[in-house]
Amino acid sequence: MVLETVTAFIGAPEPLDQGEGDPGPQAEPHGGPEGSLMSRVLLIEDDAETAREIMAELADRGFEVDWAATGIEGLDKARTGDADVMIVDRLLPGVDGLTIIEVARQKRVCKPVLVLSALGAVDDRVRGLRAGGDDYLTKPFAIQELIARIEALLRRPSENRDTVLRVGPLELDLLSRTAKRGERVIDLLPREFRLLEYMMRRKDQLLTRAMLFEEVWNYKFVPQSNLVDVHMGRLRRKVDATNEQPMIHSVRSEGFILRAPA
Amino acid sequence: MRLPEFTRSTRFRWTFAASGAFILCILMMFGFILAQAYSYMTTDVDALNNEIANAIASHEPQQRVLGLEQYLRADPHHVKLGGLFTADGRRIAGNIETLPPMLRGDAGAQLASLTKIDGGAREQHAVRAVARGLPEGGTLVIARSDYEFTWIVHIVERALAVGLIPALCLSLAVGVFLSIRAQKRIEEVNSKIQRIVAGELRERLPARGTNDPFDKLAALVNGMLGEIEVLVRRLAGVGDDIAHDLRTPLTRVRISLERARQKAGNLEELRRSVDQALVELDQSLAIITALLRISEIEHSRRVDGFRDVALGDIVREVGDLYEPIAEDKKVDFAVRAEAETKVHGDRDLLFEAIANLVDNAVKFTPQGGRVELSLLRHGNQAVVRVCDSGPGIPADESELVTRRFYRSDKSRRDPGLGLGLSLVSAIAKLHGFSLKFSSGPGCVAELVGQSASAQKRLAS
Repeated sequence: MVLETVTAFIGAPEPLDQGEGDPGPQAEPHGGPEGSLMSRVLLIEDDAETAREIMAELADRGFEVDWAATGIEGLDKARTGDADVMIVDRLLPGVDGLTIIEVARQKRVCKPVLVLSALGAVDDRVRGLRAGGDDYLTKPFAIQELIARIEALLRRPSENRDTVLRVGPLELDLLSRTAKRGERVIDLLPREFRLLEYMMRRKDQLLTRAMLFEEVWNYKFVPQSNLVDVHMGRLRRKVDATNEQPMIHSVRSEGFILRAPA
Repeated sequence: MRLPEFTRSTRFRWTFAASGAFILCILMMFGFILAQAYSYMTTDVDALNNEIANAIASHEPQQRVLGLEQYLRADPHHVKLGGLFTADGRRIAGNIETLPPMLRGDAGAQLASLTKIDGGAREQHAVRAVARGLPEGGTLVIARSDYEFTWIVHIVERALAVGLIPALCLSLAVGVFLSIRAQKRIEEVNSKIQRIVAGELRERLPARGTNDPFDKLAALVNGMLGEIEVLVRRLAGVGDDIAHDLRTPLTRVRISLERARQKAGNLEELRRSVDQALVELDQSLAIITALLRISEIEHSRRVDGFRDVALGDIVREVGDLYEPIAEDKKVDFAVRAEAETKVHGDRDLLFEAIANLVDNAVKFTPQGGRVELSLLRHGNQAVVRVCDSGPGIPADESELVTRRFYRSDKSRRDPGLGLGLSLVSAIAKLHGFSLKFSSGPGCVAELVGQSASAQKRLAS
């Protein structure tokens, strides 16, 4: 029921606390840089109510959703492989979620998979990822977290060999480990450098605190204090000087977005 | 007919079976002895009869009557029988009334039933007899009553009656006594167990202090019950705490949603209330997640995945992670990890434990205070110490802080789940480390573990 509460009111676009009249991440076109085609999501989830909420939310965001309620049906649909991303519940009647992923991987279906599970145990998480899942989310989750992770999976940065990342005036040299905004040199600590690199590779995407903590700090537990916020605050003070247009935006209670100034 | 309860007890049945087997053995033994005695006596009697028959038969015909009568006369036990018969079966001399057909002529030793005449009296005798055909055509029969054997059988019967029946009765009585006693005990245990099942966890099985197997079993079960009682109580306590800690945020959710439903005039106001409700819900979820995580760690078999990890690296990383937090709060934060120590463990969990200790320290240290995270080495032991200049933990609470949901009264109003230290404690326990709290000026938390090399030395 947590999910219902969340979706019922959060479906509408969140205002940004930076308040620039920006339409927010939800209005952005989905489906990668081309942005022409609708992204198709295959949702394999046996609980009809959860599935309905997820589908409604995904549809609102411009995804085309295909739902499979059982493992066997899901396996069928996964095998044809015309979805851009799959959301697979770990525990399904008939065929186990991990089996579906394994079979799909054997069929060389290399579309990204997000594993959902009520099992929070770390060992299960590891098993889910080892079976070929690309990300793992534990129930109950905030729908925003799910959407953010789906988008991150869809727009995974290509393995380009550029040694310099650029977002607007922001420039990050991966070889010399230096950062510049326009002509201003930004002095970053190693951890801040990694954080900025991660955000620049995923510009214009909502990055939740949990995602950042997992990817930048490499830890899977949820810290009690507002750790990520504090670190982000420091980085923001360095990236966005007082007289500059802000590039790091926080989306209230959800996460952060790095965006080139308008 | 229903047999009394005790007859169904195992102990009674065993006694019964044992007595039966015992009696059977005795009977078999006596039977064997009797059979042996009978066969010996028969051989003896037959040899004697043959000898006498030969001796008398070898006499002249007139002498035979005399010899027979002389033989029959010396018979203090009245066991001798004998007779001389003519060829047509008429009795010439002796005390046998008639000649049975199977004793006509030369007949070997055999069992026979003969009628003895003694003066006017006639009596039937079971005897061993031999017959000799005489040259002139008559038959000489010499027989001996099996009186002696019968006598022996009598004695044995009497002995059995006098000895065996009381023995049987005694063993049955013992069986009954033991099984009634056992039955009583089982009933006692039974009623106690029923009370325990009904929820009276304070009940214990009766023990007599006799140290018999039954007592030992009772002591064992009682120990188990004690453990269960402690666990159940702890669980119940945790349940209450969960209920309390979840109820608080959930009540706030309810209030804010209710108010939003009734009072919100526009979308903006509605959103604000819902946001507040979401924060509270997240808090509830965080509590549940933390609890699940603690029990996961407590019951995990992650020990299999343990590696040698450098504590220095972890300490520096935690320092790196919390340095900005401390700075934001204007708390002086120092990290010292000079000693390089490796321990055997799970890197992520150890990081989480140390991070939690630092988190706590920073949280409870007032502005302008100081937190120090250091890695020390005392001989074989690695010590991660987190000191702060906060209010500290009162001595009487230093045991309690690792309990789930425990919060020092001083900190009850601060935000937090009250689960951080029980998580640290669970992780420490999984690693075989100890977690100690003491008060310096502020609070000193120490995570103490054997270094990996020392552990290996111990193992090998």
